[in-house]
Amino acid sequence: MIELQAVGKSFGATLAVDELSLTIERGEFVVLIGASGSGKSTTLKMINRLVEHDRGRILFLGQEIRSFKPEQLRRRMGYAIQSIGLFPHWTVARNVAAVPELLGWSTQRIVARVDELLALLGLEPGAYRQRYPSQLSGGQQQRVGVARALAGDPEVLLMDEPFGALDPITRQTLQQELARIHRASGKTIVMVTHDIDEALRLATRIVLLDHGRIVQAGTPAQLLAEPANAFVSDFVGRSDLGLKLLGLQTVAERVRAGENVAGEPVPQTLSLRDALSQFVVRRVDRLPVVDAHGLPAGVIHFADLLQRAP
Amino acid sequence: MSLIPSRRAGLLAVMAALFMVGAAQAQAVRVGSKIDTEGSLLGNLVVQVLEAGGVKTENKLQLGNTKIVRGALVAGEIDLYPEYTGNGAFFHADEKNPAWKSLEAGYQRIKSLDAEKIKLVWLQPAPANNTWAIAIRKDVAGAQKLKSLDDFGRWVTAGGKVKLAASAEFVERPDALPAFQAAYGFKLKQDQLLLLAGGDTAATIKAAAEQTSGVNAAMAYGTDGPVAALGLVILDDTRGVQPVYAPAVVVRAEVLARQPKIAGLLAPLFKTLDTATLQHLNAQIALEGQDAKKVAANYLKARGFIK
Amino acid sequence: MAALAIEQGARGFGFVRNRVLCALVVAGVAAALGLAFVTVAPNRLVSGTGITLPGLLVGARALLLLPAAWLMLAVLTPPSRAVHASVTVSGALLLAGLVWLAGDEAAAQSAHLASIARVSLGGGFWVLAVLAWLAAADALQRLGLSPAWRALVHAAALLPLAALLGNGAIDQLSLLKEYANRQDVFNAAALRHGQIVAATLLPALLIGVPLGVAAARSERLARPLFAALNVIQTVPSIALFGLLIAPLAWLGDALPGWGIQGIGLLPAVIALVLYALLPIVHSTASGLRQVPAGAIESATGMGLTAAQRFWNVEVPLALPVLLSGLRVTTVQVIGLAVVAALIGAGGFGALVFQGLASSALDLVLLGVLPVVALAIAADAGLELLGCSLESPGR
Repeated sequence: MIELQAVGKSFGATLAVDELSLTIERGEFVVLIGASGSGKSTTLKMINRLVEHDRGRILFLGQEIRSFKPEQLRRRMGYAIQSIGLFPHWTVARNVAAVPELLGWSTQRIVARVDELLALLGLEPGAYRQRYPSQLSGGQQQRVGVARALAGDPEVLLMDEPFGALDPITRQTLQQELARIHRASGKTIVMVTHDIDEALRLATRIVLLDHGRIVQAGTPAQLLAEPANAFVSDFVGRSDLGLKLLGLQTVAERVRAGENVAGEPVPQTLSLRDALSQFVVRRVDRLPVVDAHGLPAGVIHFADLLQRAP
Repeated sequence: MSLIPSRRAGLLAVMAALFMVGAAQAQAVRVGSKIDTEGSLLGNLVVQVLEAGGVKTENKLQLGNTKIVRGALVAGEIDLYPEYTGNGAFFHADEKNPAWKSLEAGYQRIKSLDAEKIKLVWLQPAPANNTWAIAIRKDVAGAQKLKSLDDFGRWVTAGGKVKLAASAEFVERPDALPAFQAAYGFKLKQDQLLLLAGGDTAATIKAAAEQTSGVNAAMAYGTDGPVAALGLVILDDTRGVQPVYAPAVVVRAEVLARQPKIAGLLAPLFKTLDTATLQHLNAQIALEGQDAKKVAANYLKARGFIK
Repeated sequence: MAALAIEQGARGFGFVRNRVLCALVVAGVAAALGLAFVTVAPNRLVSGTGITLPGLLVGARALLLLPAAWLMLAVLTPPSRAVHASVTVSGALLLAGLVWLAGDEAAAQSAHLASIARVSLGGGFWVLAVLAWLAAADALQRLGLSPAWRALVHAAALLPLAALLGNGAIDQLSLLKEYANRQDVFNAAALRHGQIVAATLLPALLIGVPLGVAAARSERLARPLFAALNVIQTVPSIALFGLLIAPLAWLGDALPGWGIQGIGLLPAVIALVLYALLPIVHSTASGLRQVPAGAIESATGMGLTAAQRFWNVEVPLALPVLLSGLRVTTVQVIGLAVVAALIGAGGFGALVFQGLASSALDLVLLGVLPVVALAIAADAGLELLGCSLESPGR
């Protein structure tokens, strides 16, 4: 879908991005992560030409992005930013409808699309359509921001630290929503963040940048279990590495079927990390597990946490 | 089909009207005047007499002070305006010339100066003198037997209690107060003077009438209206210190050539405007607050210049 | 009981429930007793002798004390919507009553004085009128009505004054005699003043707004531009008018037939436009600069062209600031246009300067009051416009 080939960018004397090559496939959730100044935002902005690359090539669907008019390119990519940037003088509905209107959709189609997206993002259309951004909380505004980014049914969604300005609880909720939307729609998403937990939670592939270069690109499990160098392991966090690894898997993968034990059951979608927390709190070494319908699915043993994934 | 001819006729009519207006405007004589009371009076008299005599005018009265109006005339932005013969001394930097002290000599001098240098024509002046003067409260004049500036000079030098309200220009210009003092042998000290901003004789006369800050004498102009009504009397300039400022219309030569009857219409009017008449008319405007246009109209009707 | 007393004591004069109104009432009583309400003069030139308000309140006129008394009582009454509404009405009635009283006294005096005698409004009248108006306006503010309703109430409060003007009840006042003596001059001045203001605001907007847009985009342009405009602003208006006479006269000679003149409307308008540029350029630039950066970034990121972004995002969000700048500019131009009369441009300034030259203060007032009224009306009108343009979300 998107290919960066030896892309470089300098701002004056500073080299922001250096010989960066990356391929983003359709349906991936790629997270660009790194410290401040690592070039992650610049890389993202070069994709939709908010920043023009100096060297190398960037291809979108096989075509050099410079062959598109910038506006045409951007209308095919959703864009959500940390400051959200809703238009304060427009209602929520009009904000979301912005790109479809640019694309010339019919009014009917636009109205339907607006309602569909508001519902998708958990905002009841009847209640929220006519509100103004100033009447919404930060979390609600960013939901509208994401809805707006998705409104034109873009091929790829670009997000630049979209949840950075929100409180932790809202941030977590929205991360879950985004993960859900990604699973359901199969959209290609490229997100920039500096929060490793967010990256581990959401990404299908993490790209760690430092000083404009890729240090390691791989699945979350790869970065945790097989860090390329000390920089990577430092970045993902040495001290709670084990917990992070446990966070990547669910109870369903370790449950022993056919067994039974007393006690409050845990859902099989629970992460192993949260299961560990339950073991400690309840001071037991076995927990009953239920499936999605609430029927018993087996038992998970404390010792199973230490087993390697099959 | 019937619409088109009437539309064309309408368009022609509009064009003709515009042309006529434009033509009229092009031919209209632009009459200017100074912004003070007498300027407004003379300007309105001129406009109404010319209009009655069939000369189209464009009203540009009350333009500004002397400099602005004279500048406008020389630049060709107005065609004529009422000026004073005595001002010719300043227009041509000729203050020392004794000709300005006489109405006829001064008039002839400015007439020739302006005609040869700038192509401006001075028409027949009115037999009035709107020159600088010193006015004094009637009661003081009566008590101290002051009729002329000679008496005034003697009284001041003998230690008379006097306070004069005047403008800075009057006090400083060499041909104003200093000239009076030199000719009549008196000198006013700083505490005997009250300086007011601007050449506003209405303010100075008012100060003397109300004895503001002990003022009992005021700078005035010869044809000022309010003088008598406010209980002041003008002291005679027996030695003729001041130049004569006779009102006269000055007009651009080419405009006069185009409309020669201007001179003929204005001459009889100006002949009637002596000092007393001007004082009376000025008083109606300044004291009673009547509009200059109406005062001019009433006067012209009474004298038979207009119907 | 004790607690209540302590609380009231702690608040100072606990029985005073409305401090603003209290101050206005105290000032009003002082003005009524100490300043002349009207002055009577033998002619329009000399100053007259004053008559204070207490001397005038005989017979039926004493009814005027009723709204005044209510205002005083309201100082001690606990505030409520009803009290505020009644104060508004009382203030308006008092104002109308004061005007009527002045007119009535002028008529009474004129009946037995010479026709050139003048009865003028004294300092006491002006102070009391302003105080009454302030009391009404303050109470109206406390009612918390929408701007549209407030404007309506203001207009309604002015109706009795218009009625008094209309049926000639105050015609014997010196101010109105001056008007009567020169109605057509006044009308011409009014028309010309309006022309000057309109002829100034249009070019100022056409030149100033694009300059402001450019200044918002380019810091390099903004600095010298604002420096130049600031310098122009400091030049005294009369001096600027004078400075323009020579070059414009020269230009007029060079291009005859274009109607360029060194005096009159053109130089006045040019100078006024130069003065109006600073507030307009400044408010345009700062309006654009305060558009949230996030909105601009997301607008670009979602694919709006520069023009689309400008007209759909930047302009609507910058408009309130621009409008408030226009408000300031309009009031400034209306006032400054008075000076234009000095170079022959006409307008209300002509009346002001004629009045000054003839020491006739009521003629000066005849020129000044319409300018003040015009400025207030323009300010209120533009404020209403600004409120109506704001979307509810802001």
